[in-house]
Amino acid sequence: MNKKVLRYLVFILLAAVILSIPGVMPNNYYRGLANLSLIYVIVALGLNFIYGYTGYISFAQAAFFGIGAYTTALLGVDHHISFWLALPLSGIMASLFGVLIGIPSLKLTGHYLAMATIGFGIIVQMLMQNWTSFTHGATGVGNIPGISLGGFTISSASQYYYFLLFFVVLSILVTWSIEHSNLGRSFKAVREDEIAAATSGINLTFTKVFSFALSAFFAGIAGGLYASMSAYISPDTFSFDQSIVFFTMVLIGGAGTMLGPVIGAILLTFVPELLRFMKEYYMALFGIGIVLIMIFIPQGIVNVFAKDGQFAEWITAKRTARVESPQKDL
Amino acid sequence: MIQLLISGLAMGSIYALVALGIVVIANAVNVVNFAQGENVMLGAYVAATLTLTLHLPILAAYAISIILLALYGYIFQKVAYYPLRKKPFITVVVATIGVSMFLKNAARIVWGPQPIYFAGPFGESMIRVGGVSINAQNILIIVVTLALVVFQHFFFAKTSLGRQMQATAQDQEAATLMGIKVSRMIAFTFIYSSMLAAAAGVLLAPIFYVSADMGANLGLKAFAASIIGGFGSVPGAILGGLFLGVLEIFAAAYVSSLYKDAFAFIVLILILAFMPRGLFGEKISTKV
Repeated sequence: MNKKVLRYLVFILLAAVILSIPGVMPNNYYRGLANLSLIYVIVALGLNFIYGYTGYISFAQAAFFGIGAYTTALLGVDHHISFWLALPLSGIMASLFGVLIGIPSLKLTGHYLAMATIGFGIIVQMLMQNWTSFTHGATGVGNIPGISLGGFTISSASQYYYFLLFFVVLSILVTWSIEHSNLGRSFKAVREDEIAAATSGINLTFTKVFSFALSAFFAGIAGGLYASMSAYISPDTFSFDQSIVFFTMVLIGGAGTMLGPVIGAILLTFVPELLRFMKEYYMALFGIGIVLIMIFIPQGIVNVFAKDGQFAEWITAKRTARVESPQKDL
Repeated sequence: MIQLLISGLAMGSIYALVALGIVVIANAVNVVNFAQGENVMLGAYVAATLTLTLHLPILAAYAISIILLALYGYIFQKVAYYPLRKKPFITVVVATIGVSMFLKNAARIVWGPQPIYFAGPFGESMIRVGGVSINAQNILIIVVTLALVVFQHFFFAKTSLGRQMQATAQDQEAATLMGIKVSRMIAFTFIYSSMLAAAAGVLLAPIFYVSADMGANLGLKAFAASIIGGFGSVPGAILGGLFLGVLEIFAAAYVSSLYKDAFAFIVLILILAFMPRGLFGEKISTKV
């Protein structure tokens, strides 16, 4: 059996596993969890643009996720606008805020940027909680209309799974094509050496702001999907802690790789749930887990199993340039 | 008006102490310790337990809390910093965030979800100055902070240990060449920072209830204060903390109490956008 056949077999097996998830899951609780992990995959893929590819820290991803969720929710509940119009608007709204935070980032790095994005996230969450006349306040938004597609309404968890899977595949395709475009190469050039990138004719302003906007756009779309799927959202979902979880997803999976955020998002959605039998201990253990991962596999799971991008080469069956994970001194 | 100013300065003093703890570590090893707020919480809980459960005199409880936190600071740097000292900045930062998550949730398990009231040495007593009554605890906070700042100044300027720590912060390589044991000085810096956190914790306890969540916003706001003041500068951290404390109290009283916690971050973003070296900071030169 040659390598080519083996590769096709692995692909078919993988596709079969992914498609059979709703059938394999024991109950709707786990199906819901699988759906949530798909939404988080989109958020993490977004964050990967700004941190993984461009090398800038953002602790505001939960805020962008929340802005997307609130856009879809408020448009649907208060203005009766269809999901199909609200969803792109969610992405656009989040990316506008991404531009807003991307502009100060032109001057900031390291501690400063981390803190600016944290501050932005906290302000956004506070507005969600306290601006009651606009956001419905701390009680959250309920009765968010579901999704219907040409007379067919998505109702069961399994149907949502395939619907979300479509968006995940789309996100992966978009990520892949951006990674292999001039834009993607500019992102990486900025990450490796800003000054060298600028000398090579890369427009730093555009590249950085666009990367922020793209990150936010993915989070916004994921937020819109999340709001419609759960029918109820509340401000505490979009906290600084959640931003840390998103960031950890990218780090654990492997920043700057395409597969990393996917694996990280799935892992960090399921592992805490599997540890839930430990009740109040699990968040404490989660904290220890983060420290251990930073000590032992800071480069991410994907990079442990495939040094120097061998994994990607194997998947795409072609030699790609060696890409280092972000190690820039920030 | 005077009461507001005093309580603003008292809260600002707490921010200043926490910010100092963040800045000494940032200067020494270029890492922001996101667990500093939780260290404050830990200091407050330890002192509260010693007084309320073990019935120790309050000053002894304060002293033991500070000593235990010093020990904790040593362990913290051994576990969460030392193995990561060669890793990029973000790896260490995320590790400190992991520690803060652990501490917050472990505290909830050990001490329960109910906030504890832990009175200061003066209880609820008020001092009357010319017709204005002022909470005695607020005065205590301001005086102790002032004393600590003066102590720190002399410690770093005059003592051999302080000078060695400062030399390490300025240039590790040169310090090594001078025969300074750099890793030991870094450990001392972490110990000192944790002791500052304990001091902030016991001072803050009578004003805030002692709870697992008391440190979360405190750490972030102190970090914001240190940036507002000018990150990396000790006077910047102190002035930034005081400024933030006063600003918050007045903004809550005259603008909106609902958004009290937002002002710190709004000012932070404005400062970062328009004067990134802070209100009182030195000029930042980027390494090019």
